[in-house]
Amino acid sequence: MQGDRIASLNYAMRTALPELRNVAADNPEVDVRMSVLRFSSTAEWQIEAPEPVENIQWTDLKAEGETHMGDALRLLAARLTPEAMPGRQLPPVLVLASDGYPTDDFESGFDAFFAADLTNSAIRLAIAIGSDADNDILGRFIRHPDLKPLKANNATDLVKYIKWATTAPVKAASSPTNSPNPLQEFAQEIDEDQPVTSDIIW
Amino acid sequence: MKVPAAGAVMSGQSFATLSGRQGRIGELLGAGGQGEVYHVVVDGLPFALKWYHQHYTEIDTGLRLRLERGVRRGAPTTDFLWPLDLVEVPGNSSFGYIMPLRKSDFRGIRDLISPPPHRLELTLASRIILCQQLAHSFFELHAAGFCYQDINFGNIFVNPDTARILICDNDNVNIDGADASIYGTRKFMAPEVVRRESLPNSRTDLFSMAVLFFYSIFGWHPLDGRRENDISVLNPELEMSLYGTNPIFLFDPDTDENGPVDGVHDWIVARWQSLPHTLRQLFIRSFTVGLHDPSLRVLETEWMNILNLIPGSIHICHDCSFEHVISIELKKPTAPSECLCCGEAPEYSPILLLGSRIIVLNIGQEIRAEHLDSADDATTIMAKVESHPTRANLIGLRNLTNAPWRVSLPEGTSHIVPSGQAVRIAPGTTIEFGKSIGTISDVNMLEPTS
Repeated sequence: MQGDRIASLNYAMRTALPELRNVAADNPEVDVRMSVLRFSSTAEWQIEAPEPVENIQWTDLKAEGETHMGDALRLLAARLTPEAMPGRQLPPVLVLASDGYPTDDFESGFDAFFAADLTNSAIRLAIAIGSDADNDILGRFIRHPDLKPLKANNATDLVKYIKWATTAPVKAASSPTNSPNPLQEFAQEIDEDQPVTSDIIW
Repeated sequence: MKVPAAGAVMSGQSFATLSGRQGRIGELLGAGGQGEVYHVVVDGLPFALKWYHQHYTEIDTGLRLRLERGVRRGAPTTDFLWPLDLVEVPGNSSFGYIMPLRKSDFRGIRDLISPPPHRLELTLASRIILCQQLAHSFFELHAAGFCYQDINFGNIFVNPDTARILICDNDNVNIDGADASIYGTRKFMAPEVVRRESLPNSRTDLFSMAVLFFYSIFGWHPLDGRRENDISVLNPELEMSLYGTNPIFLFDPDTDENGPVDGVHDWIVARWQSLPHTLRQLFIRSFTVGLHDPSLRVLETEWMNILNLIPGSIHICHDCSFEHVISIELKKPTAPSECLCCGEAPEYSPILLLGSRIIVLNIGQEIRAEHLDSADDATTIMAKVESHPTRANLIGLRNLTNAPWRVSLPEGTSHIVPSGQAVRIAPGTTIEFGKSIGTISDVNMLEPTS
C-alpha cells in the first residue's frame, strides 16, 4: 500500500481507538485488551502481549511495497489457540484493515487461519482501504453473510459491530421466542380507569 | 495603461477544460497573491475559475499534480468548493481550475472577529452547527488519506441564516505525509509548524481545526491571554514565543500564567463557563497536552460526539440574551443559578433528557429522528413542543410519529399518546418513543464556579 491509502488506514485506526477506549470505560466489568499485527513486506507483531486498550497509541504505518497477508494470517492463526489464549474470555475480535490485494501465498494463509481452534468463534471484521479495495478478499476473511467490510470513514462503526457481536448471545438468552406480542402487553398495562383528560393528552 | 501580468487571462476569452467542456470567462470576482478568480460559464452553467499567476505555478511545482488528483478523487463532501476540471488557454503557459461558484448569501467567517458593524453575529447554536459541519468535512478528507494543510478562517464561508458552510481554497490539499506546499496561516499553525520543525499534516490540521473551533465559538484566539495582553508591540520573537516555543492556553487548568485578565476577557470567561464540561475538556486537551504531543490532539469524531449534543440544550437569558448550555453534571441536568453575563435569576424551561442528550422544551422546539435513535432519516421531525389550544399555562409535546407513545406521569398513571396527539409537559413524566426513553425534568441550578 502507498500514499493516500496508507494515510487513510492510519487515520481509520487513529479514529477507531478513542471509540474502543470509550467502550472499555463504559464496561468496567470487561477487560478490553488489544494486540497489533502489521504486515507489508513481512508480517510481525507490533504489540504482541495483549495490552489494555487505554494504553495503546497508534504509530503510523509507513508506505511499503508488499502486502504479505498470507504471512499475517499464519501468524494470527498461531495465536488463536486455547494455549495462546488461556482462561475465560469473550470471543476475540479480529479486525483486518487492508486494500485487499495480497502479494504472497494468501490461500495457504487462509487455510491455516480457518483451521485454528478459535477462528470460528472469533468476531471477524474488516476495513477496506481505498475506493477500489478488493472486497472479495476481505469478505473471505469475514465469512459472514450479513457483514460487509467497513470503509475508512466509518471505522468508528467497528465499535457498533463489536458491541452487537458481544451482546447478541446475552440478548438471545433473555428473549424467548414464545413471549407475547410486545404491543399487546403494552396495551394491557395501561391504567384503563384513569380518564384521559384534555389537560393531559390533547 | 494596465499591463497584464504574464500568464493573465481576460474577460470574454473562450477556453476548453481538460475534459473537453467549453467555457467563456466572465467578470473578475477577486484577486490575490496566487492568482485571480473569475465568474465563468461552462456548458451553459455558472462556475468559478481560479486562474494562477504564471510565477506562482513556477514556484509551486506540485500544484498541477495535486489539482489533477483532486479532480480525479472528487470532493470529500459537498461542503468543499472542490476542483472539478483543469483549464488551459491556448498560447498561455499558466493554468487554472473550475470549481462551484460561492453564492452571495455566504460570508467569510473571518467576520466573526470584525469590528462592528461588520461583525458576523451568529447564535451559539449556529456556531456549534458550523463546527459540526467542519468536523464532518475534515474527517471525510482525512479518512480518505488527505490533509488540508492551511485550515484558517479565511477559507471558510457560512450562510448566516442556515449555518451551512463552504470550504474554499482546496488547492493545497495533498496526501497526508507528502511534502507540503505551504506552512499555513499565522495564529492557526500548530506550534511545531511555527517552529519549522514539521510540515503540515493531518495532525497539524487537527490543531488548526481546534483553533478554528475556538475562534468560531469565542471570537477569540485560545493562546491569547495575559501574556498577549501585556505586549504593547508584537515582534517576531514574541510571536514565536506565544504560538511556537512557549504557547499556553488561556484556560490552562494548571497555570494562570496566561490566564484571562479582569475587564479584558470577561465575556470570554462567561462563555467558557456557559459551556459543558465535556466540551471544555476537549479544548483543554487540544491546548495543553495537544500543544506538545500531536498524537493527543482531539479527532473529529470526538468533537462530533460532543458538539452534536449542544444545539438543542441552549437556554437564552430573558434579560440579556446570553446563551447558556444546560449540561449533565453529577448525572443531573444542570445550569447556573444566575446568568453568567447579567447576573439575573434565570427561568429555565423543562428539559427532555434522552440518554446523555438534553433538549430544552421551549414552544416550537422539534425532536428529530437522530435524537431518538430512530431508523428514520435523521432530520425527520418526530415531535414538537406546542401550547395547549385553550389553556395558556400548559405546553405539550405532540407525537408526530406513526406509532403511539407510552407515557408515565409523575402522579403514577400511564397513558397512551396516539399518533397526532400531544401530552402535557410536566417534570417527572417519562415517555417511551419506540426504542428511546425520555424523561422530562427541571433544571438543577448550580452556583457558578470558575
